[in-house]
Amino acid sequence: MSRPAVVIRFDQDVVAYLPGAILAGSFWLRGVTTDEVKAVETSVLWYTEGKGEEDMAVHAFWRTSAEAGEWIAPNRAHRFETTLPQTPLSYSGAILKVRWCVRVRAFLQGGREIIGQRGFQLGSLPAVESVEP
Amino acid sequence: MPRGIRIYGKKRGHRRTGSSKLGVAGEAAFFATLLVAGAGVLAALLYGIVLPEWRANHEFVEHTCVVLDKRLAERENHEDKLYRPEVKIRYGINGRSFTAWTYDIATATNAANSYSAEREEAAAVLDQFARGEEYRCWYDPTQPEVVVLVRGYRWWVWPVLALPLLFVLFGAGGVLFSLLRWNTSAERRAIISRRAAGRELLAGNGHAATEFPTVPEGSDITNSPGTMLRYRLPIGTSPGWALFGILLACLGWNGVVGVFLMWVVNGHLSGDPDWILTVFLAPFVLVGILLIAVLIRQLLLATALGPTQVELSDHPLHPGGRYEVFISQPGRLPLDELQVQLHCEERATYREGTNTRTEARGVYAERLYRGERLTVGRATPFQARCEFVVPVGAMHSFRSEHNSVTWRLVVEGRVAGWPKYRRDYPVIVYPQEQNGGHE
Repeated sequence: MSRPAVVIRFDQDVVAYLPGAILAGSFWLRGVTTDEVKAVETSVLWYTEGKGEEDMAVHAFWRTSAEAGEWIAPNRAHRFETTLPQTPLSYSGAILKVRWCVRVRAFLQGGREIIGQRGFQLGSLPAVESVEP
Repeated sequence: MPRGIRIYGKKRGHRRTGSSKLGVAGEAAFFATLLVAGAGVLAALLYGIVLPEWRANHEFVEHTCVVLDKRLAERENHEDKLYRPEVKIRYGINGRSFTAWTYDIATATNAANSYSAEREEAAAVLDQFARGEEYRCWYDPTQPEVVVLVRGYRWWVWPVLALPLLFVLFGAGGVLFSLLRWNTSAERRAIISRRAAGRELLAGNGHAATEFPTVPEGSDITNSPGTMLRYRLPIGTSPGWALFGILLACLGWNGVVGVFLMWVVNGHLSGDPDWILTVFLAPFVLVGILLIAVLIRQLLLATALGPTQVELSDHPLHPGGRYEVFISQPGRLPLDELQVQLHCEERATYREGTNTRTEARGVYAERLYRGERLTVGRATPFQARCEFVVPVGAMHSFRSEHNSVTWRLVVEGRVAGWPKYRRDYPVIVYPQEQNGGHE
């Protein structure tokens, strides 16, 4: 059996999504059996990278839990869809970067987790560099 | 890939964050220790003090007794003496006679806290009882030899209970929070805390509901109308605060140095100079003089140059939008140079050891206006107008807990013979207006 992993696909293969656009796609878990999966969380979120401490905020969140009686078929495609917000736009600055991604976190038996993440761009701001005032 | 507990978390630049699971376990252990310690002390207080008092008030049976004797009991406590009143009584229950030295429940049970340092108070209690007289008493129906002459609660018990109770509440809250973190992903915690804070409540479909998340509202920028243009911008940091800070530093430094200086001067005047202290004090006096000079300069600058008035034709700003700026600078000194610039700056806050540091980096700067050798008067302030365009593709204003992108209009001036002064006027830039879709 292959190593456990999360596979995430977007419906449309685009360079960047505009604010207000629909982001839709699906994910499935590879190398995991139905009995192993306790819960799966899907988030559409942004986070910061760079010099400062990491900030993160979740735009959309879904949780499916076997403990709550919900059926989780790991090898079947699970859909997600959300309308993207206006801000914050993806940004690549001098000491700050704002990244968007879809993150899938699967909780397995025995306290194990598998995490899959696929980034995308919200808006299409050009990268910037430091300037002297 | 599957993940268990990691000793170290991810590496970020030259810093490495700790393992989140290990951190949560450490936090949980700390809070559990507080909880156990608080609960232990609380239980001891409840069992040793509160419960006996409560039983004496609610379960003891009322009866009568005869006072046989009384005394002021003493106990050594290190080098002090402690006292308590003791009254010897006789009472009969179902034909059986009992005698006991007692007063309140603490004395009856010989509790350590029945003694106090107040000798007069204890003596005054004894004066209330006369030998051979009959008084009311209350005995324990399960142990008739335990009897009291007074009931009630001691006031100091409740504040004493508050301390371990705080430990219990703080510890229990911390343990619960740690357990929640242990079993909850960062994303789920983010959603829960956002709901708890009442911010950006999720709509029914599980999506955030704010129109421009992370863009500061900036309502304070548009609440003052301008005289020439639509809005008068508030200043970012008032020069008055800088002046106040320098004044405090000047007073503090020179106050301390002044005391030593008087000592040295008195020594010189009385013909007994302390040359070592004189030499040692000299650099401190120089710094004090420098601070006074800076203070005077700031005072002169503040009084010689009035507040800079900056007005804007519209707000918030949008990339690609054209805007007009009006600037008015009253004062008494001629300006060698005056500049207005549009700045964009990234700010990042991070921890380095136990310190919190903030780094700022300019990512956009455009000069909107520059004037030289300008005549300024109180009645006739220097005034200028200029236009600018917010660059297409500019990042919108952004603020999160540790990071931000801020836009501001910066006025920099130079008065002849003085260093530059700078005044900042924050503005908010919204994202470029676009139609939904993808590129």
